[in-house]
Amino acid sequence: MTTDVLLPAEGTVPGAAVAVPVPATPRERLARLGRFLRGRPGLVVSIVFVALVLVAAFVPSVLAPGDPTLGVPADKLQAPGLGHVLGTDYLGRDVYTRVVHGASLSLQATVIAVAVALVVGGLIGLLAGFVGRWVDETLMRFVDVLLAIPAILLSLALITALGFGTVKVAIAVGIASVANFARVMRAETLRVRRSTYVEAARSVGTRWYVTLRRHVLPNAAGPVLVLAVLEFGLAILAVSSLSFLGYGAPPPAPEWGSLVAEGRNYLATAWWLCAMPGFAIAATVLSVNRISRALDGEWARFS
Amino acid sequence: MAVYLLRRVALAVGVLWAAYTVSFVVLYLLPGDPVATMAAGGSDGEPVSPAQLDALRARYGLDQPLITQYGTKLWAALHGDFGTSFATGRDVRGAIGDALPPTLQIALSGLLVAIVFGSAVALVATYTRVRWLRQVLMGLPSLAVSLPVFWVGLMLVQLFSFRLGLLPSVGARGPEALVLPAITLGLPTGALIAQVLAKSMSQVLDEPYVTTARAKGVGEAGVHLRHALGNAVIPALTVLGYVVGNLLAGSVVVETVFTRPGLGRLTVSSVGVQDIPVVQGIVVFAALVFVLVNLVVDLVYPVLDPRITTGAAV
Amino acid sequence: MRRGWTVAALATTAALTLSACGSGGGADPAADAGPPRPGGTLTFAVSSDQGCADPQQVTSNDSVYSVRQLVDSLTDQDPATGAITPWLATSFEPNADATAYDFTLRPGVTFSDGTKLDANAVKANFDRVPALGARASLPKGYLSGYQGTTVTSPTTFTVRFGKPNAQFLQATSTHSLGILSPASAAKTDDQRCAGVIGSGPFVLESYVKDQATVLTKRTGYNWGSSLFTHPGEAYLDRAEFRVVPESGVRTGSLQAGEIDAVASIGPQDEAPLSGAGIALPARANPGLPFGITFNQATPLGSDPAVREAVSLGINRPEVVGAVFTSQTKPATSVLASSTPSFADNAALLGFDAARAGTVLDAAGWTAGPDGIRVKNGQKLTLPITFANNLSTVKPALELIQQQLRAVGIDAQLQEKQISDTPQIQQSGQYTALWANLTRADPDILRSSFWSGGTNYYRFKPGPLDALLTGQAAAVDPAKRAASVAQAQKLILTEHFTVPVVELTTTLGIAPTTHDVAFDASSRIQLHDTWKSE
Repeated sequence: MTTDVLLPAEGTVPGAAVAVPVPATPRERLARLGRFLRGRPGLVVSIVFVALVLVAAFVPSVLAPGDPTLGVPADKLQAPGLGHVLGTDYLGRDVYTRVVHGASLSLQATVIAVAVALVVGGLIGLLAGFVGRWVDETLMRFVDVLLAIPAILLSLALITALGFGTVKVAIAVGIASVANFARVMRAETLRVRRSTYVEAARSVGTRWYVTLRRHVLPNAAGPVLVLAVLEFGLAILAVSSLSFLGYGAPPPAPEWGSLVAEGRNYLATAWWLCAMPGFAIAATVLSVNRISRALDGEWARFS
Repeated sequence: MAVYLLRRVALAVGVLWAAYTVSFVVLYLLPGDPVATMAAGGSDGEPVSPAQLDALRARYGLDQPLITQYGTKLWAALHGDFGTSFATGRDVRGAIGDALPPTLQIALSGLLVAIVFGSAVALVATYTRVRWLRQVLMGLPSLAVSLPVFWVGLMLVQLFSFRLGLLPSVGARGPEALVLPAITLGLPTGALIAQVLAKSMSQVLDEPYVTTARAKGVGEAGVHLRHALGNAVIPALTVLGYVVGNLLAGSVVVETVFTRPGLGRLTVSSVGVQDIPVVQGIVVFAALVFVLVNLVVDLVYPVLDPRITTGAAV
Repeated sequence: MRRGWTVAALATTAALTLSACGSGGGADPAADAGPPRPGGTLTFAVSSDQGCADPQQVTSNDSVYSVRQLVDSLTDQDPATGAITPWLATSFEPNADATAYDFTLRPGVTFSDGTKLDANAVKANFDRVPALGARASLPKGYLSGYQGTTVTSPTTFTVRFGKPNAQFLQATSTHSLGILSPASAAKTDDQRCAGVIGSGPFVLESYVKDQATVLTKRTGYNWGSSLFTHPGEAYLDRAEFRVVPESGVRTGSLQAGEIDAVASIGPQDEAPLSGAGIALPARANPGLPFGITFNQATPLGSDPAVREAVSLGINRPEVVGAVFTSQTKPATSVLASSTPSFADNAALLGFDAARAGTVLDAAGWTAGPDGIRVKNGQKLTLPITFANNLSTVKPALELIQQQLRAVGIDAQLQEKQISDTPQIQQSGQYTALWANLTRADPDILRSSFWSGGTNYYRFKPGPLDALLTGQAAAVDPAKRAASVAQAQKLILTEHFTVPVVELTTTLGIAPTTHDVAFDASSRIQLHDTWKSE
């Protein structure tokens, strides 16, 4: 109850209740999923939206065949309408195309960020939980220090050192969110390590790395992945904030944050330039958060 | 009590020292050559001449071995000296001191918005019996933390300044100019407060003494305000450090959006020109604020909640 | 309990978005102005700040607007005729070969710190200029060959040069040679950037970098330029220049009546602003148009084929039509059309993508698999460094980037701070620079393209030098114009610089603000500005 009290922005520590594998036929499971989703239209919308965003990130041309950097100056600053669903920007580039293609850059950065946080944080937590003693103490104090510095400032310090660009922004965001992963991973490792079957395994002389691979990692994976989904939403926000501040890819790359920044010059006359990319960010984060809530307990409690 | 206090203070100093060290490692060790980094100023430019680099290095003491640099800088930092800005040649402490008052202004008004918004949402959500209202209210926090702060600010400017002409869009003149930045800054923090408060309120409402009060005929509003809120606030206090850190970090974006002076703008411009001493000063300052707030909370906590005995430290 | 949140949340988000997009607001219609009245505060929004409040050390228009008001100049230049007219100097006379200039000062002028503005004060200013640093490239160039100032009486002095300097008289009318108090002139460069004392119609009250410059009226001011429309003090009590980087926010606040005037508006703002009764006076800036100038010391910058292809690959009318206000014209020479001795070279600045391809092919730059040209395994990637000091800069460069891509040149845009520009130019850490330079005298060519000057573009000595120094020495206007015309042609045929668009200063002035006057360099003079209300 002291300096190290800290909650992820969602206010709940994920992984408290994890989907316990229920032995069931695939058919039964599918029926359960159907019932689960039927009562949750918001979740369905979220899943569909995230699926679309993923398609946009990996094969943007499927959703928007045009070139996001090629504009027709004669068609500039057209309001959303039939020809251009989300309007055009100051060089006559299609805003919809730019938002769709921007998804790939922005999500790429987000995936890198979460991966960095997961790997680094996971390793710290694993090491702390598995080795224990002074290693645990030292590593967890270090994590406390990371928590004492607001994430965006830590990211900005890293950007100062690394320089600008999408990947560097992603790494900076990832390092700044290492702490939560380290804590969850450590808690899980401790829990598993103390459980009877691990004690049993050890007593029969199983080597430590076997224990790690067979017992600790598979059991810790669930809560850590739930956290990863939650952190994904936060990372989108962090990455787009930094790209809004101008530390992302140079022009004309259509990162979501920099699209909003570009639109600021046209705030008074062409509202869609700011509003649309921001809406894409907000909708993605909301959807991801909704899914993470579903994974975190809601599914397990459902019967 | 004295032992408890000493322990807390020692812990705070330790965290602060570690924060300084982490920022030193990140800023001076990570770039490989901080001088080349600063001379390039952001994106990859063409290389600077070796002679120029040497001159810069000597000027900022970066020609010394790293451990010497660390020692000298830490010693100076202990005396409140964070060096001089690479970009402007200004004393870092002075630069932060000058930027602080306007940031305090929006941080405090943001905190006010956050507390009002957060506790109103938590109170009404736990009080109301109307199912849909409860759902909408409990949904608000997760909405508020999902919206990009910079975008919310711009949309507020568009609506209230440009369309309705009610509030000024930019600048730092007059109390009206504080309204939109305070709302932008306060919303996500308020959401956090609402979540924490609602959670601890619903826990408190299940406690036996609340049930007793209800049985004695205390009205539902009375139970909420007199018994539950007071006790629910105590655990919520523990996130205060995080809340203040949030506000400080939020100023980076909010000051940029509303073109206000302050710590956030100083941060953005310093990162832009890779002004390492200023960035480090700001990072350590943020950690200092976090540590101080938590220290105060730690010291006040046992006074507020008699169930905590000072011997038990976690 | 939690289900249904997201739907509600998404719906709320949508509502926020839509409500922010309602119909546009408007401003009050212009009131009947009546005769000028004193008093009031003018709030003027600019987009950037060069980080210095010393008129002798700033070059960026956004900074010049405010600090110009702090100082008086020896002479003034009539924006209509280009003629040099009296201001602090009542008479001025060059000798036959433009190596010495006699000035007579008007008596009774004081700086706002109380000291007298006399011949010694002017001498202190001019003596200090050659020792100024990189920021002061303009005044240093104006005083090139400066040998000294001979004070003959408190009000008369002679400025002497080692070689003919025909442009000096016009230079004395610019903000760059505005006269500071001797105490200010003696300070270090950085101290001067924090604020200076002048004799101008306004006094610096406060300057906060990247935030605001606040001026107050100089009481007792009575030595205005011969071009001012009224004698005595300025009408305004205060003038506040605020730095607002986003043009959308600037125009929005102008429409909402939060501010009185803005500099540099974008084309998207023209219709809504004039619809709101806001005046949009415009004037083309004389000097060098906006364009791409190459660093001759870099491999790409010294490759004539690359330079020519860049020039041929840019469709200037398309850039101007898409990004700039309706009064803006494409560049038709290395000088802007409002500069004295401008010679129309539009034929050398045409758009011909096919020929750009031929030129690159001939030089061995062949098209690679992704359309970008390659030579000896090296991609034709051209970094263009720019300062995002005007809202038109980035859109213009993005369009140019798109146009150059079509001829196989991969332009990379590198953004820098406007305050870093002098340092970047001096260090030579760039391949090509997007910039302009305002001055109402063709000698601006020598400031930028002469291998013997500051030579930021790293020119090797060549035939251009003789033309540039020749025009500086020519006392006969016709001879000078001929040299300038030749220099323009030579620079363009060598494509040392690729001019794209003439900077046209378009101001937005609220209906209650009157008589914001353009000077000859298309900057502003606020002495005669007043507010009704």
